[in-house]
Amino acid sequence: MENNKDFEFTNLPIEAQDAEISASDFKLVDNSNRVHEQKFLTKPTTFFKDSLKRFYKNKSSVVAAGILGTLLLLSFAVPIFDRNDIEKEHPEMIYLEPKLFNAGTGFWDGTKNWTGIAVDVGGHPDATTEEEKQEFWWPSPDDFKKEAVTNKVFTDITYTSDKNELAHGGYVQFGIGGDGDAESVEMSSFVIDSLDIETGDIYLKNFITYDLEKLLSVEGEKAFFPDNYIQGKASFAFNYYVDVDGKDVRRSITLLEENSVFEVSSLNLTDIIKADPYVVSNNITEFKDANFSLVMKKSDGKKNECVLIKALEFETTNSAKDKILPASFIEGNEFMLRSVDDKENIEAYWNCTGYKKLHMAQVIYCDFIYDSYGAVFGIMPMDHYKLSLSDIFKYESKNWCDFDYVPETGPDGKYYITYSFTVLSDKCPLREITNVSIEPLYGEEIYVDGIVDYAKYYGYDSAPRFLLGTDKNGRDMFKYVFEGLRTSLLLGLASFIVCFLFGLIYGSVSGYFGGNVDLVMERITDILSGLPWIVVMTLTILHLGQNFFTFGLAICLTGWIGTASLTRTQFYRFRGREYVLASRSLGASDARLIAKHILPNAMGTIITSAVLMIPSVIFSEATISYLGLGLKGMSSLGVILSDNQTQLTVHPYLLIFPAIVIALLMISFNLFGNGLRDAVNPSLKGEEQ
Amino acid sequence: MLKYSLKRILLAFITAFIIITLTFFLVKSLPVTRSFAPQENIKLAYYLTEVDKGVLIDVGVESPQFGTYIEKITHNSIDHYFYKKPIIDQYFAWLSRIVTKWDWGVSQFISPNISTTTIIMDRLPVSVKINVISVIISVPLGILLGIVAGLNKNTWVDHTISTLVMIFISIPTFVIISFMMYFFAFKGSLPIRWPTDDATTKVKVLAYLIPVLSLSFGSICHYCRNVRAELCEVMSSEYLILARTKGLTRRQAIVRHALRNAFVPILPSILGEFIGVFTGSMVLENLYNINGIGDLYITALKNQDYNVLFADMAIFTTIGLLAGIVTDLSYGFIDPRIRMGAKK
Repeated sequence: MENNKDFEFTNLPIEAQDAEISASDFKLVDNSNRVHEQKFLTKPTTFFKDSLKRFYKNKSSVVAAGILGTLLLLSFAVPIFDRNDIEKEHPEMIYLEPKLFNAGTGFWDGTKNWTGIAVDVGGHPDATTEEEKQEFWWPSPDDFKKEAVTNKVFTDITYTSDKNELAHGGYVQFGIGGDGDAESVEMSSFVIDSLDIETGDIYLKNFITYDLEKLLSVEGEKAFFPDNYIQGKASFAFNYYVDVDGKDVRRSITLLEENSVFEVSSLNLTDIIKADPYVVSNNITEFKDANFSLVMKKSDGKKNECVLIKALEFETTNSAKDKILPASFIEGNEFMLRSVDDKENIEAYWNCTGYKKLHMAQVIYCDFIYDSYGAVFGIMPMDHYKLSLSDIFKYESKNWCDFDYVPETGPDGKYYITYSFTVLSDKCPLREITNVSIEPLYGEEIYVDGIVDYAKYYGYDSAPRFLLGTDKNGRDMFKYVFEGLRTSLLLGLASFIVCFLFGLIYGSVSGYFGGNVDLVMERITDILSGLPWIVVMTLTILHLGQNFFTFGLAICLTGWIGTASLTRTQFYRFRGREYVLASRSLGASDARLIAKHILPNAMGTIITSAVLMIPSVIFSEATISYLGLGLKGMSSLGVILSDNQTQLTVHPYLLIFPAIVIALLMISFNLFGNGLRDAVNPSLKGEEQ
Repeated sequence: MLKYSLKRILLAFITAFIIITLTFFLVKSLPVTRSFAPQENIKLAYYLTEVDKGVLIDVGVESPQFGTYIEKITHNSIDHYFYKKPIIDQYFAWLSRIVTKWDWGVSQFISPNISTTTIIMDRLPVSVKINVISVIISVPLGILLGIVAGLNKNTWVDHTISTLVMIFISIPTFVIISFMMYFFAFKGSLPIRWPTDDATTKVKVLAYLIPVLSLSFGSICHYCRNVRAELCEVMSSEYLILARTKGLTRRQAIVRHALRNAFVPILPSILGEFIGVFTGSMVLENLYNINGIGDLYITALKNQDYNVLFADMAIFTTIGLLAGIVTDLSYGFIDPRIRMGAKK
């Protein structure tokens, strides 16, 4: 009470209060200022600004809005600015891994670690050192290009008894069953039609079989004898016919006796024939129909017996080569296993009266890093299917290179070609010519061999980088995903607008008029909301086709119900308010009351709840696409995910990125929607939809 | 209460009837574009059954007054021309069959001439088994997480749980299932598809993991979110403050007052969920090759087996409506404060 002066009057004794007060006792407190209404010191705010302020306080919603905005921007910008073509198929660029960094960085670099891939020995089983293996052995299937394989490591070896092209090495198991039917069995093959004894040198280079004791310790290999078999007794012979006085006489030379340890390193068969007393005494110069035969005799009537044969190599050093059938087998699963029933290679096979099968062939597995970009865009030897002579002339006409050739006829009547080639521009895909030849096969066409920069061949300055890789049609997933996102968003937005408008009108009418109108309209929504969405979508799509419009229609058929019932509730809340009553008594029409007085008050709540419809539409569309009823001729996120579903195990990136995009979209949409609702309608804060 | 319940049930029955009628007309007017199995006898048996059930007409000579025939079969040197009856006739025939014999027709392509109800009853147990296990796991877990989050509101526990819930509720089911299959089945040791009957018990048990987990994720998130929201609301209510001022410990107040009230809207939805076990998950069953009722829907759709599709649709509709009624009515039983259908 510092300013007590004004209240002096009340502090006076009671008698003094009754004292007369003259006008001069009164004085104006402040004569200079007139008191008016003062402006608010705080800034005025609107409902919208207030909501925005509340929205900004919710950090997660702001982040979500940011992500959403970015996705939206990308979905429109990427299809416009990304020049890669996704309409046509690009069979040469399929399944490229996602690439952002240079190859070799190990992360997002367009390479992929392949593990446990069976290797194709490629006809070089002799390769023993690590370098030789690296040189000759390649992962199978052939889809892997040599140039793009790095860091090959051999990881595992398995043993198989099945004939297949990836199994190599192993033994031929030749034997006889224990049932006692046959006393001896034979395996034989013709190798020579006819040959002059003097001039034709033939060698049996290797013939190795193994007995049990040896087998268990073969060069440290993990070898074992087949179950239920014992070592059998077999002899190996070389048979041929000689012509004596117009009669064919069969001669047989036992190369290996029964029970000897079968191991021949090199044997000159011609020498043996020359030493044959019968041949010498009859002055025979030629023999014919030569064959090898392996005869096995049963020694124990109750057991299965067999021999295991490791390798047979049979060769000649001179011009007799042409007369020898390709009899050698150097792999257990190759020649010796062929039988007359095999449709391929029928000219050379081994007849067998017992049984023969593969035993312990190796399948080798390797791990390696594969650079899919290197395989497609690398600098590689020319592929004639892709580049031909006319292409080279085309480059020449663009002044990218200079190519001249002169065909000359050599002294032997064949064509020879002298050529000159210089690269004039960096743009030239052909970097180097290694050989120019004339192939007489197809009308003396000229073939060029060279080194080609395939990135330039496909029209790129340098090898392109596909951020999200490419799919089975060679489409750039980055563009494809964002185009899909755009379709999904457009579908969501279009459905939202239609549903929202219809729901708003329906709910307004139902809520404003109430009574019987409401009753009837409610029953209609009851029935429609009883329809499972999947049934509605299925039936609409089956009847009207799988296009954008149908999808929108199917969603809108039941999509408006949520908005309608919310609008109806809001109208129930506001229609009895005093301001509505006041307007009505002033003569406002129903339409005006709805549009001008009630709706603006209810709008905030309705629209913020309805916005959450967009993610649910995208969700529904994705699900139904995934079930195989998706959009045709357009890509949406659901269609992309559904198309690439089968690639999950081999190329998971095709699913990971669309899945991340759709999850990100859903999360940010939900966070954003909830934040918006909290901001516009603070009383609902914390409630979840 | 009883009157209201009866009224609701009657209304739902009428709604279901109207929806199924609508569905009937829409499904039956779909064209069958695929061709039938090559075996003549199966085809003939199917058509004759349909004739018997009042769907088709079997005429000995070509009769253009019935429209174009759908199939001509010559059996034992007798010509059969099969014509479709008008849909409205088919509808009344179907209706009388349902009312008198509970006959939903026979399958055309999936397993020809087997009754639809048999097919559905064959496929129902798997779906129900997976769903029941999933509900049994997800309901307590979801509620527990919800309670933990709600009681620790705005702490890191709450934030972690809420964020996880938000993430899992936002990712489409098929994405979750695909990646679970990728990581646990292809890269892990779980079966990559639903085992056949002759699989070992171990495989059969392991095969439940992916379906049950993938179904549970969504359910757990759903319950967790609802329980948390309810609990948060209840925790800030005045009667809880009163309970504390009376001298109850926090624990007593939560167990006796907060939880009981928070569960009022939760329990009905649990009941609704138990009704819902009779509908399978289409996406899951399709991806994991489970021969359940959800997969039947997709199979019927792709095979254009419309009798089966229609019956499946009817099940989905009925179960949905039934779950709605149970949820609504149970509110009144659980919470005496709520008087269903009372005049405002």
